[in-house]
Amino acid sequence: MESFNFPKAVAFLVVLIATNLTGAISSTVSHSTATMHTNNWAVLVCTSRFWFNYRHMANTLSLYRTVKRLGIPDERIILMLADDMACNARNKYPAQVFNNENHRLNLYGDNVEVDYRGYEVTVENFLRVLMGRHENAVPRSKRLLSDEGSHILVYMTGHGGDEFLKFQDSEELQSHDLADAVKQMKEKRRFKELLIMVDTCQAATLFSQLHSPGVLAIGSSLKGENSYSHHLDSDVGVSVVDRFTFYTLAFFERLNMYNNASLSSLFNSYNPNLLLSTAYYRTDLYQRRLEEVPVTNFFGSVMETIHTDSAYGALSGKQLKSGEIKMSSDSSGEDRQRILENSDVKDQGSSLNIKDQQVTCPFTRTLSTIHERVEKVKDVDGLVNFGLVLVIPLLAVSSWLSS
Amino acid sequence: MAEKEPVKSKPRPIIRLGLFLMSHSLLVSVVCCTAGILALLLLPVLAKNTYISENALMPGSASPMLSSDDVSEASRFVDKILSLDSSSASLGIEIPRLIKQHITALGGEVNYHEFRSQLNTFRPLQFFASPDPGIIQENSSCMSYGLNTVGIIRAPRGDGKEAIVIVTPYNSRKVTAGEALSLGIGYSVFSLLTRVTWLAKDIIWLASDSQYGEYAGVAAWLREYHTPFFGGLGKLHSEICCEPSGFSEFETDAILETGISDTFRHAGTMAAALVIKVADSSSEFEKDALSIYAEASNGQMPNLDLVNIVNYLAVHGQNLRVKVEKIQSFLHSWWLRGLGGLFESLGKLARSLNPQWSFGISIAEYVEGSATLASSLYNQALGVPTGPHGAFRDYQVDAITMEFSRQLSPGYRNRQTEFLMRGGRLVEGVVRSVNNLLEKFHQSFFLYLLTSPNRFVSVGVYMIAFALLVAPLPMVAASLFSDASKLGSMNEQSTSGPFSKPALKFRSWKWLHAARTVLIVQFWGAFMTLLPYFYCHIPNSSPMTRLLIWIVLLIISLLLLWLNLGSIFSHGNNTQSQRTQWAYLKSVTIAAAFTGLCLMSVINFATAEIGALLLVPMCLMTVPMKLKGWTLRTSMQVACNLVLTFLGFPPVAFVVLKGALKGFDSISIGEFWTWMEALWEWNSATYVYICMVHLPCWVLCILTLLHPC
Repeated sequence: MESFNFPKAVAFLVVLIATNLTGAISSTVSHSTATMHTNNWAVLVCTSRFWFNYRHMANTLSLYRTVKRLGIPDERIILMLADDMACNARNKYPAQVFNNENHRLNLYGDNVEVDYRGYEVTVENFLRVLMGRHENAVPRSKRLLSDEGSHILVYMTGHGGDEFLKFQDSEELQSHDLADAVKQMKEKRRFKELLIMVDTCQAATLFSQLHSPGVLAIGSSLKGENSYSHHLDSDVGVSVVDRFTFYTLAFFERLNMYNNASLSSLFNSYNPNLLLSTAYYRTDLYQRRLEEVPVTNFFGSVMETIHTDSAYGALSGKQLKSGEIKMSSDSSGEDRQRILENSDVKDQGSSLNIKDQQVTCPFTRTLSTIHERVEKVKDVDGLVNFGLVLVIPLLAVSSWLSS
Repeated sequence: MAEKEPVKSKPRPIIRLGLFLMSHSLLVSVVCCTAGILALLLLPVLAKNTYISENALMPGSASPMLSSDDVSEASRFVDKILSLDSSSASLGIEIPRLIKQHITALGGEVNYHEFRSQLNTFRPLQFFASPDPGIIQENSSCMSYGLNTVGIIRAPRGDGKEAIVIVTPYNSRKVTAGEALSLGIGYSVFSLLTRVTWLAKDIIWLASDSQYGEYAGVAAWLREYHTPFFGGLGKLHSEICCEPSGFSEFETDAILETGISDTFRHAGTMAAALVIKVADSSSEFEKDALSIYAEASNGQMPNLDLVNIVNYLAVHGQNLRVKVEKIQSFLHSWWLRGLGGLFESLGKLARSLNPQWSFGISIAEYVEGSATLASSLYNQALGVPTGPHGAFRDYQVDAITMEFSRQLSPGYRNRQTEFLMRGGRLVEGVVRSVNNLLEKFHQSFFLYLLTSPNRFVSVGVYMIAFALLVAPLPMVAASLFSDASKLGSMNEQSTSGPFSKPALKFRSWKWLHAARTVLIVQFWGAFMTLLPYFYCHIPNSSPMTRLLIWIVLLIISLLLLWLNLGSIFSHGNNTQSQRTQWAYLKSVTIAAAFTGLCLMSVINFATAEIGALLLVPMCLMTVPMKLKGWTLRTSMQVACNLVLTFLGFPPVAFVVLKGALKGFDSISIGEFWTWMEALWEWNSATYVYICMVHLPCWVLCILTLLHPC
């Protein structure tokens, strides 16, 4: 038995090494490239219940309205509201929510799609949304279906403390939970850039564990500071908006979809004297310079568009290609197939100008990335030979086993 | 041989500490008692400012909505009530009818609630039981009815599970201007609340009939509210009364008139209750004033948050002057001023040493604080509710009585609307704040003493005084016991030789004699507790005669007891065993007093605190008068003992305290009896304490004093 097991183990090892080698090659290739910005998503969370936390729901709904106005469609906004203030019996204005005592704007107007409400807003569901690990039955509208090129805005408001954010009065999200979820998202290529905006007390502490690249974080207050409400609506009888959110909204009210205001201008607009706390932003994980990033990259859905000559020719080619890839991914000899794929793409790249077209379909996107990687690899023949050489010991071992 | 000596194992530190304290019990008891009394006197200094602990309440965050229209309507309502012919026999029916008409016009639900006056009966075993639904039916005479009017607003979008109660007591036989105004305030708030959209809890307005006392009407309604009775009013009548009284005839007419079925209406669980009263006397200040009464039966208090929101809204919202009851004579007492001066200068000294130490308060503050504290302590110790709100506390509902007093000035007419506006807006603010509540009041304190409307002493602080007072008791008991055993064993050894085992055995059980004495006296105490039950029904007896009967019975039963116990004292003829005997007796007495005080501190802390002040020095000091020869020291001791024991007799203590506070000229001995009767009418645990703990301990102290040794 033992003598029989040993060669099997060796074979397994060899296969492992072979796959790892090719993986290493491909990963070194992927790091050097930049994915395209494909779409914008927003996850807006109000974590606290109860009538006296009216302002948190108003904060979230205000942000919801703003990102919708700036162009993120409803299907790409995950709105989580822990309580329903609009229908609370204590609300003097039934089915209406205001964020200002002038009552000019009803935030709870016609088109509000709440994805997670009431007791559905839990730490578990929040993390599931971020990481995309859902039960099968969860509908698409409740999932964050982002991809490698997505820009995601995560906005959270509620009651927090040192390295935690309270959910629903019963559980809390800790800073390392958040960091862990973001790391998993990064590994699952669920975003390209992520902006986390938090309006709670000691919000800055929530970001302390983050270390995934491409993440930008803004908090309303530093450690040891409280975030305060902006004003009280003596008609409704509660505070209606928090200071940080109020001034964020004030900044966005001046903008429309076509403005080029940068993130740094947003960050500099926070005046500690007006906030009564110090807004904190963490940029060390973020590669681009804030002066060059328009706020609409996160708060809107404005992407770079690139003109192409033939829109449809490329599409038909891609559809053809995608069928092939599906077939190939099913087969077992992984290293060999990879090479085949690469060579195919290379062939196609010579005939079609994929690089210059705007890509939306995930398959075309992977194709284009593979293509780009392959272009970066100078010695294509060497790569093919390397793959063939790797197959030889595999063949030898398998023949030895079968004999 | 040093190494052959058995190594004596050292006892554990806690035991060594106990032994050390026991051996210095005299010093410990003097220090502890002094510290306890000092801690009590320090309480006004240690009081903290109140704060609103529950986030959900948000008092004052909404602007008041009560408009001048509501108020002028309410003012007309008040005038209507006052214009009713007070001499007519049907006044008791006219006012409920008027209220009912107005509530119906506003769109609220309304019903009458009839109740019978209830004789306050002595129920010795119901001190801690909840009110019995059975007593509705008891001892009713069909002629004496009270009529409550109950209006209910259903919260338009609420779940109907909770309710807020507004109570306005009035005397239906003879309504005063103040009562009419309180009805006016109730009406103005009710009319506003029928229109608002923000109600999450139902509103109940109870216009309770106070012709049999303010408490009785509210208590009767609450009893029926919590014990659902199925069937109509007519059924109730036919069951209880053989011939329908004119009263109910009228009522059935009224029902037919309005077409409203008059079943008892319910809303949800009560979240809080506000009793609104308007004093007929004017306020002594420049502005309108508000008195807050919070004490319910057996020293129970509503949650401090309720007091806080009323105080906060009255001071900051309506610019009223808020006061809580205080003992007036304390305000002018020289010794409190002296103490206040001492604490003030100590505070100043501390601040000069370190500016961050700011615990000193001014003399005036100290005197005010201690007068309020004393009143708070006394009212809690008494165990008698200070107003109709007490009835709610029996059902674990937080309730408070708000008594407005007007500043009387020319231009009465204008003042009335302004006054109604203030009162109405305050009540509206409190209702809106309680309406925001999500759970029962639970965040803030239930055990506290007030030193001013916005300062309080919490249980953690005021317990220290009591703990210090009772701490020496177990130590002294233990030290007396061990001394007596040692003395006894020496005695045994000297008489019967070192190896007599039976004697040793006998000695160790000697304390059982003392324990038997204490037990018999305790039984006697229980007998004395029940005694008034048998003779309190003697008709036409003044409190004075009843008190005399009680004292005579007490002395007779004591003499009987003495004759029985005489046999115990005659046991053991030699003086040495007599000597140990009294030590055992005192030791067990102290242990009994300690147990009693600790038990009482769980039931009613204030009673235990005041009781400890009287009982602890008496129990600790008592020594047989014949113990030693007559030197200066012993005669001082005897004099002290006599004074303390004299003061320890409950009637004497009562008269002396009352005399010291209010002057001796207004005192009659019979007052004590009235006081006692009040205690048992209100089922106060203080009565049980006096008869079952204080009185037996007093008797046992006398026994020790008179011990023949």
